[in-house]
Amino acid sequence: MPGVTTTIAAIATPAGSGRRGILRLSGPRAAEFVRATLRDAQPPFDAAASRGLFAGRFDDGRGLQPVRVLWMRGPRSFTREDVAEFHLPGAEPLLQAALRRLLALGAVPARAGEFTRRAFASGRLDLSQAEGVLALTEAANEAERAAAALLLEGGLDARAAELRERLLALCTLCEASLDFDEGETGHVPRAELAALWGAAQQVLEEALAWETRRAAPSALARVLLVGAPNVGKSTLWNALTGGRALVSAQAGTTRDWLEGRWELGGGWTCLLIDGPGWTPEARGADAKAQELFARAQRHAELVLWVVDSTQAEAGAPPIGASLLVRTKSELTPVPCTRVELPSLAVSAHARHGLGELAMAVRTRLAPAGDLARETGLARVLFERHQLALQRARTALAEAGECLAAGYSLDLVAEGVRESLAALDDLSGRTTPEDVLERIFARFCLGK
Amino acid sequence: MTATDPPSAAEPVLAHLHRAPAARERGAHDVLVVGGGHAGIEAVLAAARLGARAALITFRADKIGEMSCNPAIGGQGKGQLVRELDALGGAMACATDATGIQFRMLNTAKGLAVQAPRAQCDRHLYRDEVTRVVRATSGVEVIEGAVEGFLVSTAVDPDGPRVRGVRLADGRELTASAVVLTTGTFLSAVMHTGESRAAGGRMGESTSHGLSRDLHALGLPVGRLKTGTPPRFAADSIDWGKLKPQPGDAPPLPFSFATERARFPVQRQVDCFLTYTNPAAHALIRANIHRAPMYAGRIQGVGPRYCPSVEDKVMRFAERERHQIFLEPEGLTTDVIYANGISTSLPGEIQERFVHAIEGLERVRFLRHGYAVEYDFVQPSALDRTLAARAVRGLYLAGQINGTSGYEEAGAQGLIAGANAALWALGREPFVLARHEAYIGVLVDDLVVSQPREPYRMFSSRAEYRLLLRQDDADRRLSARGAAVGLVGAAQLERAHARQREVEALTRVLETLRAPRQPGHALAAYLRRPEVRLSELVAATPELAALAPDPSVVTTVEADVKYAGYVERQRASVERLARDEATAIPPELDLAGISGLRGEAREKLAALKPATLGAAGRIAGVNPPDLALLAVHVERHRRQRAQRGGG
Repeated sequence: MPGVTTTIAAIATPAGSGRRGILRLSGPRAAEFVRATLRDAQPPFDAAASRGLFAGRFDDGRGLQPVRVLWMRGPRSFTREDVAEFHLPGAEPLLQAALRRLLALGAVPARAGEFTRRAFASGRLDLSQAEGVLALTEAANEAERAAAALLLEGGLDARAAELRERLLALCTLCEASLDFDEGETGHVPRAELAALWGAAQQVLEEALAWETRRAAPSALARVLLVGAPNVGKSTLWNALTGGRALVSAQAGTTRDWLEGRWELGGGWTCLLIDGPGWTPEARGADAKAQELFARAQRHAELVLWVVDSTQAEAGAPPIGASLLVRTKSELTPVPCTRVELPSLAVSAHARHGLGELAMAVRTRLAPAGDLARETGLARVLFERHQLALQRARTALAEAGECLAAGYSLDLVAEGVRESLAALDDLSGRTTPEDVLERIFARFCLGK
Repeated sequence: MTATDPPSAAEPVLAHLHRAPAARERGAHDVLVVGGGHAGIEAVLAAARLGARAALITFRADKIGEMSCNPAIGGQGKGQLVRELDALGGAMACATDATGIQFRMLNTAKGLAVQAPRAQCDRHLYRDEVTRVVRATSGVEVIEGAVEGFLVSTAVDPDGPRVRGVRLADGRELTASAVVLTTGTFLSAVMHTGESRAAGGRMGESTSHGLSRDLHALGLPVGRLKTGTPPRFAADSIDWGKLKPQPGDAPPLPFSFATERARFPVQRQVDCFLTYTNPAAHALIRANIHRAPMYAGRIQGVGPRYCPSVEDKVMRFAERERHQIFLEPEGLTTDVIYANGISTSLPGEIQERFVHAIEGLERVRFLRHGYAVEYDFVQPSALDRTLAARAVRGLYLAGQINGTSGYEEAGAQGLIAGANAALWALGREPFVLARHEAYIGVLVDDLVVSQPREPYRMFSSRAEYRLLLRQDDADRRLSARGAAVGLVGAAQLERAHARQREVEALTRVLETLRAPRQPGHALAAYLRRPEVRLSELVAATPELAALAPDPSVVTTVEADVKYAGYVERQRASVERLARDEATAIPPELDLAGISGLRGEAREKLAALKPATLGAAGRIAGVNPPDLALLAVHVERHRRQRAQRGGG
C-alpha cells in the first residue's frame, strides 16, 4: 500500500503463556523507538543489512527490564519494514508497561492482523498465501469485534455513550452558533458553553478513572458454568478456583457473576465464570435472566451445564452447552435419563472427578484456540481505549482553555470536534449529519 | 504560494477510467450544457475557459442566471463556496459584486476561519449581468430550446451506454462529446399552493417529462424532493415605519478577489427590514394546517430542515411566540419584496390572512403567493467525483438535479462538471478537489456517497478541515490549481501572487517588530492573543501602517498568525489520511460479497460504491474494522490484477 507511515506495536505472545513475552514493532520509526528504550546495547541501525539479537535492558520509563532485541532491518523482515522484537520477561504488567512506553513514543497499536497485512501489502507473501492472510484477517476482524464487545460490557460502553452524548451537546451548540445567525439560534452565552464543557469533562474524567482502575482484561479462555440455583454451581466454582474471585460484583459494572482462575494442568489456565442462574423455564419468561445468560454465553469459549445428579428432571440443555456436569456425585444419584451431551460426574466435597473435568475442558479448548485471546487482541483494544480517552481529554482540555481565555468560537469548536473524533473507536463514529440532526431538532432555523 | 501543495494529484477518479471519446465520436460541440441556471452558467464558462467548444441550451436566452429563490448569494458555508468559485475563475462572485445592493460579512465575532460573506443582489441586474457575461464569452454559444431527451449511442459498448447529444422539443438534434445536465427542479416538477397544484418548476415556466423518462431509461436512480418559497409583497403596501432596518456593512467588502476597491460598491446600497410573526398569526396557521399540502399528505417529497416552512416552524416549535421575517428588496428598481422566513404552501387566502396579522404587513398586497415545489432528482451516488454518471459515458450532472439546494452549491458543481466534461472530451486528466483543499471538494465528496432525504446544503460543520478552508485565502488555496488545469488565466494568477506577496511583506514586519511592553516577544506572537486585532495594530504602528495593507491582506495575515498551530495540526492529519484518500476501490470489486463485513456496512458500501477508502470511511455505518477489512480486499484485488496483467 502506498505511503505506510505509522509504526505499529503489539504484544505478540498469549498472556500468561510462558516465561518470555514478545513485543513486536514494525514501521519506519522502529529504530528510533529501539534507540529510545534500549539501554546498554544498540544494534548497528545504519548498517545496510543489520540483523541480529542484542541483549540489553528495556527502559519503560519507570524501570529497567532485561531484554533481548531481535532487530531486522527492512526489507529483510517479515513486513519488509524495519522490525524489532523485544523479548521480555513474561510477566503481564511488565509487557503492558513496555507496550505503553512504545505507544507513548508514538507507536500505534496494531490492528487485528496488521503485521500480516503489511507483510502481504509489501509483497512478502505470494498470491497463494494471500488467501490465507485474508482468512486470517477476517477471523481477526470477527475476533476483534467479539473482544471489543467483551471489553465494553465491563462498563465502558455506557460511559463512552454518555461521554459522547455530553460532547455532542456541546458540539451541537458550537456548530449551531457557527453555521447560523444569532437571530435564528438566539444568543449563545459563553457561560452555557462552559457549563456543557464542565459536564463533558466530568464524565470524561470518570471514564478515565474507571478505565485506569480496571486491570487489563484477561486474555484467558472463558469457561461458563450454567445451571439452576442450588445445583452446586458455586460450590463447584469454589472448588475449582480456590474461591478467589478476580472480579466481584462491583457497583457500576454490569457483571454480576464471579470469575476466577482455574488451573487445568499442563500449564493451561482458563477463566471460570460462575454464570447467572438459569433454568429452562426461565427462557422466554424472564427477559433479564435470558439477556444475562445470552451475553455470558456469547463470550464464553465453553459452556458447562451443571445439574444436580440427585434430581431427576434436568430439562433441555442451555444453548451452546457442550458438556454436562453432574454434581454431588458423592450422594445417591438418580439414574441419568436423558444423555444428550457428554457428561461427567463430579463431587466438589469429595474432590472427585475434578481432574477429569479439567482434562475434558482442556481437550475442548485446545483446538478452538480463540484468536482474540491468542494474539492478545483484547489487550491491544484495552490500550487503544485508553489512548482514545487520553486523546479526547487532551482535545477537550484545549477547548476548555480556548473557552476560558476568550478565543474565538471556531477554535473552541475545533477541540470539541477532535475530542468527539477520538471516541470514534469507542462509541461509534460521529458524522456531521449526527450534529446537524441535533441542531435541527433543537433550533428553529431558516429564514 | 504557501505550503498548500496538496497530496491529492494522484487521486483516482472513475470517469476517466472510461475511454475518452475517439475523434470520430466527437460531436458538433465538445460540451453541451442543458439549463441556464447557476450550475449551467459555471459549467459552460468553465468548459469554454478550458478551450472546449461549448454551448448552453436554455428555455429562454434572456433568463440566464434567474434567481428563482431570494436574490441573496453567500452565507455560512456558502460564501466560502463562492470565494472558491471566484478563485477558480467562476462568474458568481463578480456578478454579485456588480449587482449587490447589500453586503454583510457574517460570523465576524465567531472567528476568522468561519467568516462568510453574504450579499443581497438586484435580481434583474444579476440576471442581465450574467447573461451579458455568458454571451460575451468566446467559445460559448447560447441555444434557445427545450431539451426533450438524449441522443444515445446504439452501439453495444462494454463501458455502458454513451450519450451523444440531446434532442430538442422542436425536433432539432444536437450532438456533443459530453452533455452536462443542470435542469434544477424542472424534472417532473409539481407546484403546490394549498389544494391547488400545477406542473412546473418555477412560477410561469414549464417542466420536462421527457428528460425524466430518459434518465430512467439510462438506469439513473431518481428520487423526489420538496422545497418551498415564501410570498412576495408590493413594497408600497408595507408600513415601513413600523419595522426595524437591517443595514449592510459599511464599508462593504466585495466577493471577488478581482473587484477593485475604488469602484466598489457598484450599486446603491439598501437596508433590509425585520419584522416578526406573532401568536395571532400562529393561531391562523394552526387552524388551517390541514390545508397545507405537506400536512395533508399531498406532498411526498421531504422538505429541507434548514429552511422549514412557516407551517413547520409553528407546528414543530409550538413554544416559540414569534419567528423572524426579513423583508428583502429584490432590487433597486423593482417593487417586489421577498418575505424571507415564511416559506409556505398554504392556500392563498390563508397566507393573506396570517400575513395581515403581522406588524407592518397589515395592508400588504401579495404580488405572488408562496408555494411548494416537488421535483425529481438523480441520486448523486450514481456519480463519480467529476460529477460524471458512473454508468453512462459522456453524461455529467450538476446543481439541484443532484439533490442539492442553493445557487452557491449549484455553481460549485457546475464548475466541476463543466470542467471535467471538457477535460474528458479533450482527452485530458480530470480536475478534482480534495476535502482539505476546498469546500467544493467537501461538497462533491459528500454528494457522491450520499442518499439525500432533503436538499443538501453546505454547512461549515461538514468540513473537517474547516480551519484550512477560510474564505479570505481561497485565492491562495486554489488559483495555482486552477491555473495548472487552465481554468485560471495569467492575470488572475498574478493577482493571487501579488496579494500573497503583500501578505508575506506584512507578516515579515510583524515578525521583526517587538510587542508593546514585551521586548522579548515579536509582534506576531502578541497578535496570537485573542483580544488583539491586527487592524488595530496596523493603525497604531507606523511601520505597519506604512505598508498600507488592503483589508483582505490584513484578514489573511491575522488568520495565518492566529491559526498557525491548528493549521499545522490539520495538515498533519490530512497527511495521515492521504493514504486512504489515494487508495481507489476498483469499481468491479464486489463489495456485497466481502465476507466478514457487518450487514449495515456491506449494504451501504454496495449501494454507495465509494471511489476510495477515504470515501468509504465517511459513510455513516462503515466503522474502522470494516474499513480495515475493505482495505485488505482492495489490496488483494490490486495484486491479483497486477499478476494477471503483468504475467
